[in-house]
Amino acid sequence: MSRLAKFDVVSIEDLETSDIERVFALADGFAAQLERGEQITTAAGLIMATLFYEPSTRTRLSFESSMHRLGGAVISSADMHASSAAKGESLADTVRVVAGYADLIVLRHPHDGAARVAAEYAPCPVLNAGDGSREHPTQTLCDLYILRKKKGHLKGLTVALCGDLKFGRTVHSLIYALARFGANIVAVPTSGMDVPDYVLERLAAERNYSFSTVTMDELKSLAGGLDALYLTPSAPHQMALFTDDGELRKFPAAEPPAALDAFYVTRLQKERMSGKEAGLAEYVRFDARALRTSRTQEAVVMHPLPRLGELAYELDADPRAVYFEQAAAGVPVRMALIALLMEKAAGASAGQRPTAGAIRFKAEPPPRCSNLNCVTRFEGAYLAPRFTLGRGTDATVLALKCGFCERELKIEYVGHARSHRYYRFDENLQGYVRQWIEEGSLAVFDSVKQAEEAGYEPYRRGPQREIMNEEEVVRAIESLADQVIADVHDMPGVSIVGVVSRGAMLALRLRDLIGAKTGVLPPCASLDAYQPADGLHPIDGTENFNVEDRTIILADDVINSGWTVQRAMATIWQRGRPAAVKLAVLIDRGHRAVPIRPNYVGKNIPTSRGERVQVRLAAAGTESKSHDRVMIYSIVEPLKEPEAAH
Amino acid sequence: MSAAANVALDAAQLGRSLKRIAMEIAEHNGGADNIVLVGIVRRGATLAERIADELRANGRREVPVGTLDISSYRDDGKGLPGDPRLIGRDIPFSLDAKRVVLVDDVLYTGRTVRAALDAISDLGRAESVQLAVLVDRGERELPIRADYVGKNVQVPHGQRIYVRLTEIDGADAVVVGNANAK
Repeated sequence: MSRLAKFDVVSIEDLETSDIERVFALADGFAAQLERGEQITTAAGLIMATLFYEPSTRTRLSFESSMHRLGGAVISSADMHASSAAKGESLADTVRVVAGYADLIVLRHPHDGAARVAAEYAPCPVLNAGDGSREHPTQTLCDLYILRKKKGHLKGLTVALCGDLKFGRTVHSLIYALARFGANIVAVPTSGMDVPDYVLERLAAERNYSFSTVTMDELKSLAGGLDALYLTPSAPHQMALFTDDGELRKFPAAEPPAALDAFYVTRLQKERMSGKEAGLAEYVRFDARALRTSRTQEAVVMHPLPRLGELAYELDADPRAVYFEQAAAGVPVRMALIALLMEKAAGASAGQRPTAGAIRFKAEPPPRCSNLNCVTRFEGAYLAPRFTLGRGTDATVLALKCGFCERELKIEYVGHARSHRYYRFDENLQGYVRQWIEEGSLAVFDSVKQAEEAGYEPYRRGPQREIMNEEEVVRAIESLADQVIADVHDMPGVSIVGVVSRGAMLALRLRDLIGAKTGVLPPCASLDAYQPADGLHPIDGTENFNVEDRTIILADDVINSGWTVQRAMATIWQRGRPAAVKLAVLIDRGHRAVPIRPNYVGKNIPTSRGERVQVRLAAAGTESKSHDRVMIYSIVEPLKEPEAAH
Repeated sequence: MSAAANVALDAAQLGRSLKRIAMEIAEHNGGADNIVLVGIVRRGATLAERIADELRANGRREVPVGTLDISSYRDDGKGLPGDPRLIGRDIPFSLDAKRVVLVDDVLYTGRTVRAALDAISDLGRAESVQLAVLVDRGERELPIRADYVGKNVQVPHGQRIYVRLTEIDGADAVVVGNANAK
């Protein structure tokens, strides 16, 4: 039996409050033993593997030192990109292989949610040493440990978090933890570096906890009641507080005496920013004078290190500068965490809280996480996107939370698989959606078009009327073919791509007409704008369909917002670089939301937004075109009690 | 600059064009406060800042400005111009439910705009994307059109269009000249 529990610490939330208190108690004990120079053999015979997919010497050394101090051994790969990852090995495979060499994996990874993936695939426990811009739970444990050690308690402290609150993963973990321990938070973000909404939403929903966000000016008036300042380097306007001499005496004299307990200064997460953000990032310069005022007498200065320029060296001699102590505490705290896993293996309470079950979606493809840095975007070969019901603060969309990076995705259209009806989401549907999730009959869609292509009907529709009959549709398609022939001079260089399903039928009809009129039959393929991974499929019996240097006629039945055309072009571009793309649509109904204009239009039909245009086309090659027609109808928004749920 | 160079827009005309584009953006989007500007690096980004200044001068509230960096040519030296692709972005705000006005200096084949649309659709659910360009020189290869155009300029074969902006080039002008003119 393993001496370590399969207990993963991916987020600070994986630890119960009692776990954290136990870690602190164990850390106090280890710190005392280390102080006395005692040799510790608690983890003798155990091996820790440190896998660092991005550099962090400090965190890695701290973990490795902890294991050595506990009497265990360490195997290490400081630069994963130089080894297996460079050969294209998946994260899941790497951790399963490494778990054969070690009892415990410590992972640092640049993608959001990577630690969750590692934890799920590795048979041994995984400790998250930072994943993307998300959490860094052991750093948070060290922050809390030193704050508690210096102040004696956490409850009731007021902590101001300043500067980069967007990318600083230590800040996010610290926010959750401070909220849990009953400390007060004041956020003072640098412009554009606010605490992300998903952090605020989670606090509000899980702890009914909120905090105010203030500007630096407002902070001046608040500073009187602060217990701690968590500072991160910030933009120039925030430096105003520390201008001239970096002193805090600019606070209005009439303010009550400050009870600042700590300053927490962090390094800018420059590697997570794009050019402009990094350019903004003038560093706060924090020096001894900031501690001289009555308001800051009790303040300790914390910093996760390394410092770049934000802490003056003169500060080092001040007993309130605790950042080296804080760094040193990383060893007993991490020793304590490993010891906790051993205690959990020995005790009966080893079990980790199960994670909530993911929603099974009826419609393919399942939604994709909107976070570009989510691990599912990189490890997609084996990771199926996974979502649970999110909290959502906007009642007009269904919020789904990514099971890996926890970012919330906003869904506008939902469908009920049994009745094959779709609805524009609103809060009245909330209860039904939960029911559909339980039944496994929830479908989600990006748009009405996607829902209809999947065979779903609007929940209710108004009366239909025919706006184009067979003859008019036939004439419009002929007109499209004539427009193409008149416009394109090099017909052998033309290929046609139709958007499934009716765009593809239109494509074949155009091909036949062009063939009959010019003697050249252009190759024809279809694509599904909602299944970009499927690519292009020849639909005219040809083997290969090329886009490189071809003039592509992109055919669709109706153009509305234009987003489908954007998706369709993206799919074409995955295959190559066409010489040109010309857009042919049977009907342009207006309401464009992107700067796209068709080159060839069969008929312009002005519509209102609530209306749908439905095209029926006879298959190419059939003599009778009696299926050809265009209907228009209005969509009635869902009422309070959708019949589909009965 | 060769003697054959033609000034398509002088500094005053360029300034007026931007004012008019800003006015049209404000008009077209009514009372909507959910406009954001996204400029295409490099001159599109400068123009986006100027349009934001104009909107602010017209009493609208601060309009967020982001940038997309889209390279026009492959850097692998394989000869033929490749298709533009995204090489960087700086959009430190959410695009969800926003009306995004994409800003570039010259609209030509439409390939840069197509790459920009992909980048924007990857970043969230924008309500709409509108396109503002200082110059539309025609000769589109893709079905892209601009919502706001400073000036339509025909460029004779073998000539190029040069957009000069004070922030980058020391003066404002749009000039048509020989491709190899400095």
